[in-house]
Amino acid sequence: MSLLDQTARRDGGRIVAALAAAFRDLDLAEEAYAEACARAAAVWPAAPPLDPAAWLYAVARRYALDMIRRRNMRRANAVEPPAPPPTAEDILTADDRLIPDERLRLIFVCCHPSVAPEARAALTLRLVCGLSVAEIARAFLVAEPAMFQRLTRAKRKIAQAGVSFEVPGPEAWPGRMAAVLSTLEVAYARAHEDAAGSGPHAGYAREMLDLTAVLTGLAPDDPEALAFAALVRFAEARRPARLDPDGAMIPLAEQDPKLWNRALIAEGEALLRRAARLNRPGPRQLRGALHGAWALRRSLAEPPPWATLLALYDLLLQEGDDPFVRLNRAVALAELAGPAAALAEVEALDADRFERFQPYHAVRADLLARLGRADEALRAYDRAIEMAPGEAERLWLIRRRMILP
Amino acid sequence: MQYALLLYENEAVYAEEGATSLEAIIAAHGALAAELAQQGVLRGGQGLKSSDTATTLRKARGVDTLHDGPYAEAREQLGGFYVIEVPDLDAALAIAKRIPFAGDGAVEVRPIIDED
Repeated sequence: MSLLDQTARRDGGRIVAALAAAFRDLDLAEEAYAEACARAAAVWPAAPPLDPAAWLYAVARRYALDMIRRRNMRRANAVEPPAPPPTAEDILTADDRLIPDERLRLIFVCCHPSVAPEARAALTLRLVCGLSVAEIARAFLVAEPAMFQRLTRAKRKIAQAGVSFEVPGPEAWPGRMAAVLSTLEVAYARAHEDAAGSGPHAGYAREMLDLTAVLTGLAPDDPEALAFAALVRFAEARRPARLDPDGAMIPLAEQDPKLWNRALIAEGEALLRRAARLNRPGPRQLRGALHGAWALRRSLAEPPPWATLLALYDLLLQEGDDPFVRLNRAVALAELAGPAAALAEVEALDADRFERFQPYHAVRADLLARLGRADEALRAYDRAIEMAPGEAERLWLIRRRMILP
Repeated sequence: MQYALLLYENEAVYAEEGATSLEAIIAAHGALAAELAQQGVLRGGQGLKSSDTATTLRKARGVDTLHDGPYAEAREQLGGFYVIEVPDLDAALAIAKRIPFAGDGAVEVRPIIDED
């Protein structure tokens, strides 16, 4: 991977967020960042900078300031010269090497209640996590042009309707938190599905630990925010156990719990307890409890908590029907009621909608294999392998496919 | 007697090939407004940004919900309007929430075209 790719993946979101917060302009931030990357591609191979992220930030910032000056010049015929945006002045005197962390602020902008709900997560993934439009389209099971349209419309709305770039005060939290949490959930799910942590989304899996810590600091009495922070800790705690020596993924039930990070699990458990004490149950507390149930396992000798998981999935479905929850529920059901019952549940899902959802094919392949329907399993494995989010998943699926009769 | 003239148009027309441009229409509004001002009959008026910049607050059975986009259903009838100047959309929405209705209602919050 080139230095530019590495830097873009690790620091891209932070840089775009800092630019957007400083200039109060999402398009300008994206354009300036793209320009800085283009210049880096031309210059870095011969002269790699000491601090690549600071280089990108500084170049993008100057480009954005330049654009603002040019725009203002075009309006110079106005009676009074328009005042330059104060934030541009602030940033002129700021230290280029310090990239302020404005990701949380940008998340609140992207998740403003005036932005269409289906655009919020997409916009956050684009601007805060730096995913491409194609990647976001895949994550949401929609076509790329439709996703591009959705993002463009959302950015225009934010720019034209006067959406504030301030983190809202506590009085506005109840209305805003749910949108922010569902956005972060989608973002984290993308990062988490990559077991090796080497793909393009690995960078923000760890960042999510910071972001959720900031979030629970801002809203210490929001049980759903606490529960989501717990979930991220449980899931990240398992990272050391997710790969075998060959670099293939290890499914959760086969991971050695002794390798899990107990300190992170303890943090997660404490957060979940704090959420429970607030006595306001919600779907994220159930999701946190699902991961918490796994975290209670101390060794491979102890049976996995399938019955608890199934009960929790049933409770989650009472909060609202969710085909993704039903797919996960089928995995637990297979262990308790057998693969035939589980497959019946999976086949009842909307196959067209799941066509581009990789775990659907992986779960289906496994159930078909267990039922001895090898030909169908083979086809499902092929589809799952083709769409695997990373090399680790691909290796694991290839191995499973090979042991088919 | 004072009257409010409420303008409805098909926004899609501005994207059509060969249609009168938005700039030309704004200039024509400017000319009409100048004439009305000279006659002493103009009391005010503003151009609104396109409907996709709108946010609508609905009040149904005492519950407020926000959604992205203009007011669409025709069950409620237009009953009035306020023009306010506040720092951002949140402040505008906070005021929209305070607007009294006898039953269900909706407030479409639409930004006004900047003077420059």
